Amino acid sequence: MARKLDDIFNECYERIRSGESLESCLNRHPEHAVELEPLLRTALDIGRRASYIQPRPEFKHWSLVRLEGEQHYISQQRQPAKPGLSSLRRSWAVAVAAVLILLLAGSGTVIASSNAMPDDPLYTVKLATEEVKLTFAVTDAQKAQVHIQLAETRAAEVETMANEGKTDQAAITAERFAEELEQASLAMAKMESAMSTAPPSTTTTEPTLTEPPPPTPEEVPPAPPATVTEEQPTPEEVPPAPPATVTEEQPTPEEVPPAPPATVTEEQPTPSKDTKLDKWATQRERFKKSVEESASKSLTALEKAKEKASPQTKKDWQRAIDKIWEKGREREPDKNGTWEWRRNGNGGESNTVNPTPSQPYPSR
Amino acid sequence: MLSEEHLVQKAVNGDQAAFTQLYNQNFDRIHRYIYVKVRSQAEAEDLTQDVFIKALESISSYKWRDLPFAAWLFRIAHNRVIDHVRKQSKEKRASLDEAYAKSVEDPIQMTERNFEVYQLKEAMERLPEAQREVAMLRFISQLSIAEVAKTLGKSEGTVKALQFNATASLRKTLHGKING
Repeated sequence: MARKLDDIFNECYERIRSGESLESCLNRHPEHAVELEPLLRTALDIGRRASYIQPRPEFKHWSLVRLEGEQHYISQQRQPAKPGLSSLRRSWAVAVAAVLILLLAGSGTVIASSNAMPDDPLYTVKLATEEVKLTFAVTDAQKAQVHIQLAETRAAEVETMANEGKTDQAAITAERFAEELEQASLAMAKMESAMSTAPPSTTTTEPTLTEPPPPTPEEVPPAPPATVTEEQPTPEEVPPAPPATVTEEQPTPEEVPPAPPATVTEEQPTPSKDTKLDKWATQRERFKKSVEESASKSLTALEKAKEKASPQTKKDWQRAIDKIWEKGREREPDKNGTWEWRRNGNGGESNTVNPTPSQPYPSR
Repeated sequence: MLSEEHLVQKAVNGDQAAFTQLYNQNFDRIHRYIYVKVRSQAEAEDLTQDVFIKALESISSYKWRDLPFAAWLFRIAHNRVIDHVRKQSKEKRASLDEAYAKSVEDPIQMTERNFEVYQLKEAMERLPEAQREVAMLRFISQLSIAEVAKTLGKSEGTVKALQFNATASLRKTLHGKING
């Protein structure tokens, strides 16, 4: 009896969801109508109440922006996964980028786009041009430099958008700014790690475990150790696959792409290693200072905008501020003095931060 | 228009636009599912974002034949919420102030809706675990019986029975508030 009734209930619920009326469905089952009606009304009432739960449009939009950033990041990470093709692919990318720059550098569109703001139609051209610049950055130092330049650009844009009270554009740009900080910090972390793992003497034949791909240009320091979490986030924060119960059925072990095998590489002796270490240390300090100044400038502008904002949008300004602070916390050095990069797990802490414009960045 | 399977396959192959489309299709219901299960709006937002980031990171190994995409996504959400709840202390509960429906301009209507959502969360929390999961996926997230069955690893018959019992329990809890 009950078994049959749960079937009928389910059938009626499906029919009502498809547009049929409650009365019509009850007429199909007059013998159960008395029992079915209150249950169906309950189910519909739950659906009605649930429909009030809507994500804030700003959150949905932000979330998509972050996801697109992750997509970009992941696609970049996947590219060098085929060692045999990576160097060739990079060469082609550089060649194509070079041709593009040569073709476009003098064009009015590219020049005009250089000062475009996020609400300008030419802004996408500006972003594309920046991507080309990034293509030319080969070493970690170069990457850090470009990302820091881009972070400075984003900071200026955040400031402009915030001063003009353009919440949406300022928020998106703050997200982009945070992404540039993240990328710059990753490159800096690699530099830092390379410095801390650099051999003390100029000659060594002891093999060290590193991750592929191996460094290619002579400028590139030894590959970072496993503690740098750019490609391997901490397991408790971001597992590479769905959680355990997900993986019971899917994906099957043989379908999961195997992790890149650790390779043993032999460090090449570099006679001028000490000089390079000094150079990197100087660069790193300069980069850090630049990052702090950019972040401080953005935070000040956002805080001012938040003060002037309507009560409805204050939360969105705060979120933009929190996003930058999150990145600031994440890039703090760990107890060993090396740059520890961890993705933000649940972000719950962000709401506890209450930065003020007068605080230096990051000031802990 | 692409079938969902085709769309998912494109996303699996690295098509960013396809993944964005899947995001748009599933975002609201994943968020709703999580919101009813956690204490606050901020937690719901963070976890919702986490779910899609994890899905993005894992999608290259996803196979349609093993699990419908929605079921796969809700499993991630389910596990993410469980992980989160385990880490959190349970002394705080969702307050009425943190309830939703903030987009409504009429403050009276907004308050009423927030209260109704709050009651719903309370009623859901009182259900036995198995009934709650079915009711959440079925009534809150609007998954089909087949999708719920796949998500929970149960037969469709079992899901229908749990759905029926959950509805009866929810009716008792919400009765005075629904029918006056």
